[in-house]
This record gives sequence, structure tokens and C-alpha cells, in this order.
Amino acid sequence: MKRPAESESLEMSEPVNDWRPSPGSWLLVALAWLAVGAPLAWGVFMTLKKAILLF
Amino acid sequence: MAGLLDRERTVARPGFNRWLVPPAALAIHLSIGMAYGFSVFWLPLSRAIGITASAPDDWKISTLSLMFTLFFVFLGSSAAVFGSWLERVGPRKAGVVAAFCWGGGFLISALGVHTHQIYLLWIGSGVIGGCGLGLGYISPVSTLIKWFPDKRGMATGMAIMGFGGGAMIGAPLADRLMKHFATPTSVGVWETFLTLGVIYFVAMLAGAFGYRVPPTGWAPAGWTPSTQKSAMITTRHVHVREAWRLPQFWLLWGVLCLNVSAGIGVLGMASPMLQEIFGGKLIGVPGALAGLTTDQKAQVASIAAAFTGLLSLFNIAGRIFWASLSDYIGRKRTYFVFFGLGTVLYAAAPLAGSIGSIPIFVSIFCVILTMYGGGFSTIPAYLADLFGTQFVGAIHGRLLTAWSAAGILGPVLITRVREYQVEHGVPNAQAYNTTMYILAGLLVAGFICNLAVRPVADAHFMSEADLEAVRRQAHEAAGGK
Repeated sequence: MKRPAESESLEMSEPVNDWRPSPGSWLLVALAWLAVGAPLAWGVFMTLKKAILLF
Repeated sequence: MAGLLDRERTVARPGFNRWLVPPAALAIHLSIGMAYGFSVFWLPLSRAIGITASAPDDWKISTLSLMFTLFFVFLGSSAAVFGSWLERVGPRKAGVVAAFCWGGGFLISALGVHTHQIYLLWIGSGVIGGCGLGLGYISPVSTLIKWFPDKRGMATGMAIMGFGGGAMIGAPLADRLMKHFATPTSVGVWETFLTLGVIYFVAMLAGAFGYRVPPTGWAPAGWTPSTQKSAMITTRHVHVREAWRLPQFWLLWGVLCLNVSAGIGVLGMASPMLQEIFGGKLIGVPGALAGLTTDQKAQVASIAAAFTGLLSLFNIAGRIFWASLSDYIGRKRTYFVFFGLGTVLYAAAPLAGSIGSIPIFVSIFCVILTMYGGGFSTIPAYLADLFGTQFVGAIHGRLLTAWSAAGILGPVLITRVREYQVEHGVPNAQAYNTTMYILAGLLVAGFICNLAVRPVADAHFMSEADLEAVRRQAHEAAGGK
């Protein structure tokens, strides 16, 4: 089922550049980055631990 | 359920923060990036029956390695075939299908290991998982480019960096899981496949449901396209049906294929090259590799493994670095750097080996690997610059067949050239030199392809009426009838 706000936004043809992220969204951004950043950081750490042998 | 996956349901509302999209893309790319780490399973799988040592019925590592070919072939072909479908249905549905394919592929492989049927592994992870790789890889590209018109390179670089980094998480995790599940009657691989399948399925679903597409005409607050228009960056759009018939598409196909072929070639050679060129010098002992004791060879192998790990770090760093830099210096110049600097470095590597300088040798390979990674992450933005953003996901999907071709061309070239030289009496340590010069030649060809790239002619762009019709069709297909 179509939601009015979405169908309107889809049909917009003029640039929409007055959006500002809601203040609360930054907390969500931090959590989302933590969720992917933490395992990536662990992976980098594990690789560095092995790579240190080279030096 | 179908409504939940529709493109219509993923259109962002005012106040949405575009910085939520890259982590969603990363969740998918970090999951599928485990494809690079599959070799961690080969040794345990080669003694799945014998447990402590390979039994006669155990699989050979060469048989298992076919998986990489299947990955490359099905990644490229599924991206090419389903790219247009992705543009129509949106990234969320594509991401969910990718999660089912990649996660499901692991489950089928678990069954294959449990019942010792190699075909189940090839079909599960290789074919079905390979399709998941292709769909997952291209699923966020178009969306990210639309959310970040001001930082196209950086945005796609962040996601594609995840594909390079996936094995860094997956390989040590798989290693720990196999040790955890190992028993006197099992090497712990099928249990690990099962666990990883569930983990990746959940992570990819989370990523797919995190996708949001911007409304048509959206632009970042306060951002206006540069008034100093570059002929190499269009604001119009070429239809995917038209794009792949244009010379620009095939020149970029050549650019990607040649850059990746050379990079894959180097990746495959780096570790044995380091060991055979420097031999005992790596552990402070005089003499060539062949003259070392078993213990010394093991120490040298550990250092070579460390070198491979270091290269993978530079590979992922290059993906974000070069793609971000391309936002400032332009895509064409970025590829000129890859091919120009790359040619010099590939040709200089044998010299570094001959003068016996380990730091110079290692540095050369680290820089080369950043450009290998950068080649992947900069290409979507290059396509968007030339062909517009409307069909960039589908066009990128078709371009990824270049990766499949390179996945076959690179290793075959390296293996054949080396075998030929060794058969004709060239010492092992020097057999790499000609190969490096041939790879440098590939980069020269890539330089020429890049040089020949010109802006797309006006006649090939869609008219406003055609564009409106396509958007209306997509809107209707997405459930907004």
C-alpha cells in the first residue's frame, strides 16, 4: 500500500535540498557505525598482529 | 512481506540521515567479503575424513580451490543479469535476496561437508553464494551515489572497502569456530559453515533493511552542483540498454579488467615471490630458500603470511583512499595514477628484489595493492560521471563481468608464464621478473584505454520525457500504482 508522503516525494522533480538530519538521528548513526566498525576494527587488529612479524 | 521489500517502502522521509546508508552497505559488503577468506577452510576440508591427515577419499585442495573461480564467474554474471532488476525493485529486495543466497549457500555447503558431497559445496557456496555475491555487491552502489552526489567516490569507497575487509573478520572468526567445533570425529567445518551462514544472513538482512533511497531530485542541504561543469561529469542519464553499446563502456571494461588482472596476478605471487627472492635474509640467515632447514622454512612462511596480511590492509585502505581522492582530482586522473605509477612500480619490483632491499620491495607491493583496491572502488563513480546516476547500478553490474574475466585471466597468465620459464631453466627467484614486466604491460594497455575515454555524445542521453517515463514505470513496478 502506498504511503502519501512517499508517493509525493517520488514524484518530485525539483531538487530537494532543504532537508536537515533530525538531531536524534546522529545517535543512530553512531550506533550503526559502531555495529560495523567494531568487527572491522577487530579484523584489522588480528591482521596487524600477524603482520607485525614482518618488522 | 512483499510490500516491506518494495522500493516504495524504502524512500526516505524528511529528517533521514544519509550517513545511515554506508553502514548498511558495509554490513552487506563485510559479509560477502568473506569470499576472499575461503582458503581458511581448504586445509581442514582436505582432511575432513582422515581428521588428522588426508585420507584417500578426502578432497584435494586443487578441487576445493575451484570455488574461487565459481565466485568470480557467478559474481560477475549475476551482477550483469540482475543489475536492471535491482534498479527496478530497489536495493532492499536485492539485499534480502543476496542474504538468502549467501547465507543459504553456507547452509547448503554445511550439508555438503556433512555428507561429503563436493557438488553441494560448489552449488551452495559457489553458484548460489556467487549469485549472492553479485547481488550484494551492486545492491548499495546506485543508492550511495544518489545519497552522496557531492562525494560519490568516498561513498562507494566506504562500501567496497567492506568487501576487501570481510575476510579480515571472517577468516579469523572461522578459524576460531573450527577450533571450537572440532572433535575427534569432525574437523568442525560443517558446524562453522552453519554458524557463519546464520551470522551472515542476519547481518545482511540488517543491512538490507537499513537501505533507504532518496526521493527523486534530492540533494544534500546547501549543496549545489559545481558551476564549473566538467565535460567528464554529466547531469543527464544514459539508459543501460544504450550504455553497454558505447565505446566508453568497453573502455572502462578494459580499464577494470586490466587493473584487476594485474592486481590478482601480484596478489597470487606476492608471498612466494618474497620467500624465493629473499630466502634466509627474511630471518637473518644467509642462503636461498631451498637451502634452509624445515624450521627455518616455517619461519619464512610465517613472515610471508604476515606480508600477505599487510597487503590486505593496504588493499582495503586503498579502496577508501583512492575513491575519496577521486572526488577531488577526478576519476580519469585517478586511473592515470593507477596505470602510470603502477607500471613504474611493477617494473621496479624485480629491481628491488635484485638489490636485496626488503623495505623497498614491501613498500612497492603495498602501494600496488592500494591501487588494486582503488580500481574497484572508483569505477562506480566513474560510471556515474559518464553515464549519469539513473542506471548506474545496472551499468556497474554489467561492467563487473570484467572482474570475472580478470579472475580467470590474471591467475592463468601468471601460472603459465612462470611454468614456461621454470621449464626453460630460469631460476625460481628470477622467474617472477618477466611476469612482473608482463603485468606492467597490462597496465600500459589500461593507460591507453583510460586515455581513450571521452564524454558520451549528446545523442545517447535520454530525453526528459524518456526519463520521466522510466521513473514512472519504476514507481509503478515498485508498488506505487
